[in-house]
Amino acid sequence: MELAWYALLGLFFATYLVLGGYDYGVGLLLARRTAPATRRAALNAVGPFFLGNEVWLVAAVGILFGAFPTLEGELLSRLYPAVLGALAGVVLVTAGVQLRSRPAGERARAGWDRVVVTGSALAALGWGALLAGLLQGVPLRADGHVAGMTHVFTPFVAAAALAMLTLVAAQGATFLTLRLPATEVAPVARLARRLIPVAFATVGAATVLGLLSDRVRAAVVQPAAAVLLPLALVAALLAARTALRWRRPGLAFAATSAALALPVLLVGAALWPWALVSTVEPGAGLTVADAAASGPTLRLLGWLTLPLLPALLGFQAMCWWVFRGRTDGRAPVYW
Amino acid sequence: MNTLLLARLQFATTTSIHFLFVVVTLGLVTLLVGLQTAGYLTGKPIYERLTRFWGQLYVINYVLGIATGIVMEFQFGLNWSGLSRYVGNVFGAPLAIETLVAFFLESTFLGMWIFGWHRLRRGVHLALLWGVALTAYASAFWIMVANSWLQHPVGYEVRDGIAHLTDFGALLTNPTLGFAFGHVVSAGLVTGGVLMAAVSAWHLIRRTPDFALFRTSLRLGVLTTAISVVFLIGFGFAQFGPVGRVQPTKFGGGPERDALVAEWTARFGPGDYTPPALSSVGLGFMILIGFTLFLGTLLVPLLFRDWIIRLRFPLWLVLLALPLPFVAVLLGWIAREVGRQPWVAYGLLPTGQAVSPVGAGTMLTSLIGFSLLLGTLAVTNWVLLARHAARGAADPALGRPPAPDADTHPEPVFA
Repeated sequence: MELAWYALLGLFFATYLVLGGYDYGVGLLLARRTAPATRRAALNAVGPFFLGNEVWLVAAVGILFGAFPTLEGELLSRLYPAVLGALAGVVLVTAGVQLRSRPAGERARAGWDRVVVTGSALAALGWGALLAGLLQGVPLRADGHVAGMTHVFTPFVAAAALAMLTLVAAQGATFLTLRLPATEVAPVARLARRLIPVAFATVGAATVLGLLSDRVRAAVVQPAAAVLLPLALVAALLAARTALRWRRPGLAFAATSAALALPVLLVGAALWPWALVSTVEPGAGLTVADAAASGPTLRLLGWLTLPLLPALLGFQAMCWWVFRGRTDGRAPVYW
Repeated sequence: MNTLLLARLQFATTTSIHFLFVVVTLGLVTLLVGLQTAGYLTGKPIYERLTRFWGQLYVINYVLGIATGIVMEFQFGLNWSGLSRYVGNVFGAPLAIETLVAFFLESTFLGMWIFGWHRLRRGVHLALLWGVALTAYASAFWIMVANSWLQHPVGYEVRDGIAHLTDFGALLTNPTLGFAFGHVVSAGLVTGGVLMAAVSAWHLIRRTPDFALFRTSLRLGVLTTAISVVFLIGFGFAQFGPVGRVQPTKFGGGPERDALVAEWTARFGPGDYTPPALSSVGLGFMILIGFTLFLGTLLVPLLFRDWIIRLRFPLWLVLLALPLPFVAVLLGWIAREVGRQPWVAYGLLPTGQAVSPVGAGTMLTSLIGFSLLLGTLAVTNWVLLARHAARGAADPALGRPPAPDADTHPEPVFA
């Protein structure tokens, strides 16, 4: 039962990274010096999906709190700086994207665009740092005390945060290749093709630093997963590059999406059966089973929410179906 | 500075800002459902214009509701890890249900509603707004279930120093839940009603050319306020009985309080078990504001033959009433939440034991950073709301018909 809820938690967070990934990717690409019209077109390409994408994060944290209350408290408070950055980023993007077109002046809109760029960067860096922080373990003691926050700041965390940033940017460019009107796709497709090798390099750097890090090597329980899943990530990036070259944006988007979901699977699988590994006292970490809520709570959540999951996914699918295809002049422009 | 105080300040700031936006969301979405449904049934264009104008204000307001809501959700883990460790088994369940069953769908529906004008069939588009409203109410309900549990923990047993869920039904029949939920919903409707009436009054004072439209929304706003303020006051006073019984320390002295304080002193050691005076002061002023808004019912007869507009001074009264519901909801929240101190879960978990073991420096950074961030965003949001409210209903961006395809390759409209 705990495994099922852990998998569901992973599914929601990974889906958030995939969907939120293109929100933030498109947000990062606003940093390019393009015409105001191009920027607005990019934002409206995300438009109908934006709110539905962000809620995957809210739902993931809801599952974390409901099904893994102990993990929620320990994880978020131990990785405070990473969470703080990600959260500030999410807030800035949420407000920036929805408010940027409300003022009529181009200057005010350009100002909001900078807010969106900053927020997107913070969110991507923060989530990358959080995943890396999990993989290198936290100084968890049996008495629950933790001294300082310096344990988060390591080269591996920095490299992983940067890798997430480039993955997200590549995801955003690929999404726009898939979604903008066919006549306007060429520049973003070129950009996506250039971003994928960059992502490739940063993911490689993070992997190397992870392999060199004592803390990561000590924390990883399942070395097979820790080796195979980064390879799968690299394969996904190669596939995305090939698909972009063949002008198959749908395939490329599937591949970059896989590249964003894989880090979540990597953290979950490499540490299993641990959810949180302690770097100071080997036994003081939290296993998934210990972190989970007690039986009655999980059963209640199961009975109440699982029958509704098809409805949740169904309405998300309805949103994707209604607004499928490339943007055109028929849809209202709101953002 | 101690970590506990900083964590409490941060929660108070975030929740206050969150609440100011959420009551508007709850109230306006209900009125919007009425407007769009009226438009669907009668086919009159005025209702579509009203829906677009108020819908745009609703959507702008919604932004800060989400932004602050996300920060609050994370704060439980960031700053209050003791809460999730000791009572997460019980308290976490209603919050998880809220995110999955209510909020997840609410936002998905709203995204489709914003971008679905002229693209979805009118019935589907209307159904989406109904979905937004129903899930918003469901969301408020589950949040109140969670909050009521902190006010009066029920349906659990403590084993190995941790609370475990034993009876979920008890959470739903919590004596601190029913009337409080009714109170919050009525507060949302009053706030939405006063906002709608005040914005319309401003346009009518300035002799808007859009007379018919703002006349309709003034009437709707005044009537909504007048009806829901009665429920608001009723549900408010109805809470004194049940809440006073389960929380003897909240409303002041009496033998029950002394007995409870003696019991706590025996179990948890000596300490100050009376809530700060702030809570009862807040309660007093809130009741005053409630009665002031109740006087608003006197405006209802003036709706006859538009005397409310022709006399003009009632319009000024409506406009000046705009801050009242916002001040009242903050005071009411203070009365409820500060009134249960020093407990995070009443009589079960002292607030001091719930705070995360993080340094004061980290907590201070987080407090200053998020207070500045959310405060700035809130003010910016209100400025934008005021500008859009003042601009009138001539051509809101929400639901603007797409430009006809003039040239061969389609381009979005950039207005």
